[in-house]
Amino acid sequence: MIDFQMLIEYYGESPFLIKLAWITSLVLSVSIILLTVYLKFARTLLRKKEVDSLKFRAAYEALLIEYIYSGDEVSIISDNQKRIIDELKPQVLDRSKRKVIISVLYKLMNQVSGEVTDAVKILFKESGLINYALKKTQSKKWHVKAKGIGEFTRFKIESVQDEIKKHLTHPLREVRKEAHFYFVNLFHFEGLTFLDTIKTPLSEWDQIQMLEILQRFTNQEICDIKPWLKSSNDTVILFALKLAKVYNQYEVKDELMDLLSHKNKHIRIQVIEVLTHLYGIEAKDVLKANFTELSLEEQISFFGLLEKLVVPDDEPFVEKHLFHKDFEIQLLALKILKSINIDKYMGLSELPLHEKSPAMLKLTNTN
Amino acid sequence: MDTSTIQIILKILHYLFFGYAFAAISSYIVLSIISGKETIDYLKRNSFVNYKDILSSTMSPSITIIAPAYNESLNIVENVRSLLSNHYVNYDVVIVNDGSKDDSLEKLIEAYDLEKVDYVINEKLKTQPLRAGVFKSKNPAFEKLMVVDKQNGGKADALNMGLNISKNKYVACIDVDCLLLEDALQKMIKPFLEITDTKVIATGGVIRIANSCVIRGGKLIDVNLPKNLLVQSQILEYLRAFLLGRMAWSRLNGLLVISGAFGIFDKEIAITVGGYDTKTVGEDMEIIVRMRRYMEEQGRKYRVSYIPDPLCWTEAPDTYKIFISQRNRWTRGTIETLKKHRKIGFNPKYGSFGLLSYPYWLIFERLAPIIETVGILYFVILVVLKEVKWEYALSFLFLAYLFSVLFSIVAIYSEELTFHQYKKKGTGFKLVLLSALEPFVLHPFILYAAIRGNFDYYFNKKIKWGQMERRGLSSVET
Repeated sequence: MIDFQMLIEYYGESPFLIKLAWITSLVLSVSIILLTVYLKFARTLLRKKEVDSLKFRAAYEALLIEYIYSGDEVSIISDNQKRIIDELKPQVLDRSKRKVIISVLYKLMNQVSGEVTDAVKILFKESGLINYALKKTQSKKWHVKAKGIGEFTRFKIESVQDEIKKHLTHPLREVRKEAHFYFVNLFHFEGLTFLDTIKTPLSEWDQIQMLEILQRFTNQEICDIKPWLKSSNDTVILFALKLAKVYNQYEVKDELMDLLSHKNKHIRIQVIEVLTHLYGIEAKDVLKANFTELSLEEQISFFGLLEKLVVPDDEPFVEKHLFHKDFEIQLLALKILKSINIDKYMGLSELPLHEKSPAMLKLTNTN
Repeated sequence: MDTSTIQIILKILHYLFFGYAFAAISSYIVLSIISGKETIDYLKRNSFVNYKDILSSTMSPSITIIAPAYNESLNIVENVRSLLSNHYVNYDVVIVNDGSKDDSLEKLIEAYDLEKVDYVINEKLKTQPLRAGVFKSKNPAFEKLMVVDKQNGGKADALNMGLNISKNKYVACIDVDCLLLEDALQKMIKPFLEITDTKVIATGGVIRIANSCVIRGGKLIDVNLPKNLLVQSQILEYLRAFLLGRMAWSRLNGLLVISGAFGIFDKEIAITVGGYDTKTVGEDMEIIVRMRRYMEEQGRKYRVSYIPDPLCWTEAPDTYKIFISQRNRWTRGTIETLKKHRKIGFNPKYGSFGLLSYPYWLIFERLAPIIETVGILYFVILVVLKEVKWEYALSFLFLAYLFSVLFSIVAIYSEELTFHQYKKKGTGFKLVLLSALEPFVLHPFILYAAIRGNFDYYFNKKIKWGQMERRGLSSVET
């Protein structure tokens, strides 16, 4: 038997540091025991949640498929659909069930088109899901707000656009981004009007996502991107450049030419790449004339352009740069020379070793 | 020396050891709180991210996966298949066969229908020369694959060859035997594309242990807790290090290391700083420190990001011999890097990098095993001299033990409430039990390996990488 009296006496007589150590040990021991017990509970709960989620998913999937395919041509929604909505109404009150319903509904939404999509939207509104999404957008927590906007985007609910518009300039990027995606998803190119006024940067990630969203639509008639190419926001210009490339915007060549002297180097490089893609032959002389003032990256990009748009007249310029200090440019110059004057290119192999550029030496060794 | 002087010296030593232990424990508590906050933020930020668009977009940036291989014949074909099965659209794979003495190259040529091609390499970084040359597949299904066969120069040299070969803006440097999940690249590239006001120079990922996991066709099918106690203990150790330690350092923008097993780099910066250092055995840590140092010296705003999702799974040593050899190398790598960049330490010119990350690493990583060993020796001397105050010794030893158990349990919680990879019944209890055992079955060997590492660093310069025997991930398939 443990003599508690003795333990208490020992503790009472111990110095402060030892007392502190034992008290802390006791606290840690209790914490370990409690956390171990709770871990068991938490893991069981997680497993149960997963099983429930799968069960709900299977049940709702069947119900929602029935909903989607029980429409008739007489009314907007059939009696059976009304019944299913009524059946779902009490279910959406439960947070976990609501989550599953939204997820299943969205999956089905992606698999259908036309009128059936409208039926899904009706279900989203009539079942009360719309109210929860609206509540989310009004939440003080930014991630809840962003999720709410995301739900409206996924179910293409146009009626809340005024509410979402408020978030286009939200100080937090995640919320702002969701609002941008909402407008692009629902209104396509017309939804891009926020680019006219946006002051905050659009990340590369956001730009790629918006382009992907835009490319999904059947109507690929693009709006006027010229104002965005003149934007004071560099990221808007970069996005407009991507649009120019993807949608082959030959009509913006003048604006692109102006951008060749933009203060942002990254923009200048992108412009050269877009001009290469759009066969912007006009850029060649301008860049040739300023070649020595260009940064190395711009020079490499220009040689990329030259590779595609070279004509025999460019030979002296190319020849001049066979011994450029940068290996990549040397290599590109050799490649271009080969395409316009094979004899001269072959003649280079006659050069003595010490007169050859590193790229020529490498090519000799490789071959 | 009279008795009172000895007493004063002893007292000072007591306070030094106590102060060190107190500082270490406090730093762990602070780091776990910060990591908790960062993890919650990360999960919130990613709870509504659509990765699909980035995955399929031709506009997404291109990435080169560089995987050095040395005598990996056993699993090379399967491992390459796994690398080729990534879902990201814009990527290629460069396998650098670093002078393997086995039939790795022949196996790759046969399995992937490779043929030799003329390829001009822009040698921005000096490396060992090519041996058999550069190979590409005749089969369009493997068009993303390139195999470079070069003379042996070590892992860093092979990675530098990959950096020279890559034509893409980003490079993912990985161990060829690692299993990369299909969505790994789009998750890892996100910080580079998302952060607009700061240059992201590198992103590191969590490394998980794949021993006993079921892997089929290069894909992770089922996660199991291995039976081997050493491997189990390493799982717990990795959870602590990656989910509590690195997550917090990521928040503080103070990461000094990205695991060599998997990390993505901005190629331009990696090349500008001179690529991987071939003279160190800790090339993964060294390059990060050098890249950070370069950015600090350039006065540019930068960030080393970190993704906590379990994206990369690797094989951990399952024998003490190999484990000690691995940790010995890690210790030497740390010493070499900290010594090489000692200018940074406590230097206000380098901001929090010099005043926080470096000193922390020096005091609580580099010096920890030495201080611990000195402490043990000191304790033995006190025992011999009968100077031990047992009531103090026992109470604080017990307290330290309980703290280490609790810290491991916090790491288990961090895993359970976030990524929940060990789902099977009974695993939770096993992990808790492991928390209690780990200080006895793993820690002494880590300490021993670290001391050996110190000894080898100063007195046995010939030793380089040490032994690493692979059982192979696919062999654990059941």
